[in-house]
Amino acid sequence: MKKLFVLVLCVLLPAALFAGGMTVVEEKPGLTIAVPWAGQELEQFLPVLEAFEEKEGVSVTALTYRAEDLSSILPAQFEAGQALADVIFMWEWWIKENPQYAADLSDVWASGRGAFIPSPIEAAGKTAGVPYVMVAKPGFWYRKSFFRRNGLSVPQTPDEFTSLLRRIGNISGIKNPIVTGDGVGWPISDVTEHFIIAAGGPDLQTSLINGEVSWTSSRVRTVFRDYLVPLLEAGAFSDPVEWTQAVELWWGGDYALYFMGNWLTGMVDDPSDLGIFPLPGAKGIVTGPDWAFIPRESEKVDMAKKLLTFMLSREGQLLRARQGGKFVIRNDIPASVYPANDQMVADVVSSMETTVADMDDTIGGDWQRVFWDQLKLLWVDPDSLDSVLRKLQAEMP
Amino acid sequence: MTSRTREWALAASFVLPAVALMAVFIIYPSVKTLLLSFFDEQGSWVGLKNFITLLKNEDTLNLSRFPNTYPPWGSLIHNAVWIIIHLPVTVIFGMVLAVMLHKVKGGPFIKSVIFLGMVIPMIVGGVIIRFLFDENSGIVPLVMRALGSELLGKTWTAYPQTALMALIIGSIWLWTGFSLTMHAAGIATIPKELYEAADVDGAGSIRKFFRITVPMLTPVTSVVIAMTLLYEIKIFDVVYAATLGGPGGSSMVLSLQMYFYAFRRLDINLSSTVATLLTLFTVGVGIWLTRRNLKGEKA
Repeated sequence: MKKLFVLVLCVLLPAALFAGGMTVVEEKPGLTIAVPWAGQELEQFLPVLEAFEEKEGVSVTALTYRAEDLSSILPAQFEAGQALADVIFMWEWWIKENPQYAADLSDVWASGRGAFIPSPIEAAGKTAGVPYVMVAKPGFWYRKSFFRRNGLSVPQTPDEFTSLLRRIGNISGIKNPIVTGDGVGWPISDVTEHFIIAAGGPDLQTSLINGEVSWTSSRVRTVFRDYLVPLLEAGAFSDPVEWTQAVELWWGGDYALYFMGNWLTGMVDDPSDLGIFPLPGAKGIVTGPDWAFIPRESEKVDMAKKLLTFMLSREGQLLRARQGGKFVIRNDIPASVYPANDQMVADVVSSMETTVADMDDTIGGDWQRVFWDQLKLLWVDPDSLDSVLRKLQAEMP
Repeated sequence: MTSRTREWALAASFVLPAVALMAVFIIYPSVKTLLLSFFDEQGSWVGLKNFITLLKNEDTLNLSRFPNTYPPWGSLIHNAVWIIIHLPVTVIFGMVLAVMLHKVKGGPFIKSVIFLGMVIPMIVGGVIIRFLFDENSGIVPLVMRALGSELLGKTWTAYPQTALMALIIGSIWLWTGFSLTMHAAGIATIPKELYEAADVDGAGSIRKFFRITVPMLTPVTSVVIAMTLLYEIKIFDVVYAATLGGPGGSSMVLSLQMYFYAFRRLDINLSSTVATLLTLFTVGVGIWLTRRNLKGEKA
């Protein structure tokens, strides 16, 4: 019996010690912020963090995470009482659907009320998320030097656009006039939404988002059948190429046009060579903020609020605007502080009658994944249009 | 306390911690998952309704397209096709390679190179497969273009006709090392005298392979088949990294479908239904292997 007791003790004691050791969490100094940016995009954000570090004497570590990956990781982590970072950037729809995980940012927003352009995310009786910077998806980027060399000009009408694509297609060395960026699927959805807005009107985009118009309606089918599918069948678009690889290939001359958001300005060697044009006739373009929230489970909520407050302050927003690649959300930042290319995008935005929300980021959920996946299919198999539209409608939440 | 009771108490003290852990982390979640597959979101009993919903969904079974045209055929059929192609190729290929590299100069080195596919994480394998079949950077489309094939010279993972095949071929590369290593170990245990006797009888290499090597490797081959089947039924990371089940669901597999139901759609009941189906398949494989092993022991 004594031997048995000693044996059990020898087994249980180390197990208890081990388990106890496992619960000791090493205190990490400073703050962590989970951002959706990498490479040049991240480098444009770092001066803001450095300024905060200098001001508050608190170090901030930026971690790059894709929102698609965070959407599966965060709920389980939060339920376990853990926070991946002290400030996290996520989709607007995700924060709206999960306000229980977010700290109340009313005080952060109140610090600059009246100076902000968009509204914050209000859910569950609190300010669950705030916008930080805005992006625009203004149209097709091109290299001015390429256009000059080949005697090309920016199209002003849909016929001129089609003619431009035909001319580009005949240039030696060009694989396809337009390169199609790919990844999880959002570059394809961005260009598709641009066609919906240009050919169907900004209100069609909004109606689709709100579920007021069916994907199988003749109005939507006409946009795809008469505008997008003919270009796909004619080979105007390349097969989907990993989107950062596509930047290099397009810049290197394999393709002439690239539909991408304004963050592209920070990804090329010579931004002064960049030109941009929306689809002729487009009366609206997609713009949208990058959204941030502070997890309730963060151990440094107060310090994280200080960081967010700084990021949204005039000083923080001015710093960010000067780096380029994104638009700030304050109305007291003059356009002159942006680099030249961002001013070019701002000109495109201001030439539009309206701006609209990004469709898949707004609808969200599993529909977003299905949207991306079905468009990837449409791109290589335009004959599947009807089944794609049926699937999109069937999966609408 | 009698000595028998003491013995049982001692045995229990060894077994209990492991049983406790298993109960918490394996038994409870498994039973809960099984139960969830028979209930709806509101917690009401629905019997087999979730299974019928799952099997009627064209994401799982698309008989209007199979076998008349190219994928998507549904995740269940995609997994079945994966097994039909991947299983015999990796088992036979591994066995043949093991025979060819047995007692060959440089054989161990070549085996190590082939085994590299097993050493890299499968998620990395999926990324490699994506680029292996990429039109701009992949060697496979490059070779296909040189051979004059336009479709196969494009990015395989971008087209519904070729996405699933790209994953299966890439997976053959990743998994053959396992089959090779197991068969190589099995070959080393075959008594030399059998081959010597066959030589005396004038048997050729082919005859020796089919009459000696293959029968003697049967226990090893059974294990390889079982492990490969389990790998194919549960395949997830390669597909996630390479295609996310696309384009248009043409490379969707059951595990990935389960993941999307759970973490994108937040439909735990439907996700549990897929998990239960997967468990049934894997239990079937396990029972087959166990019965085979027991038969072998009795013999």
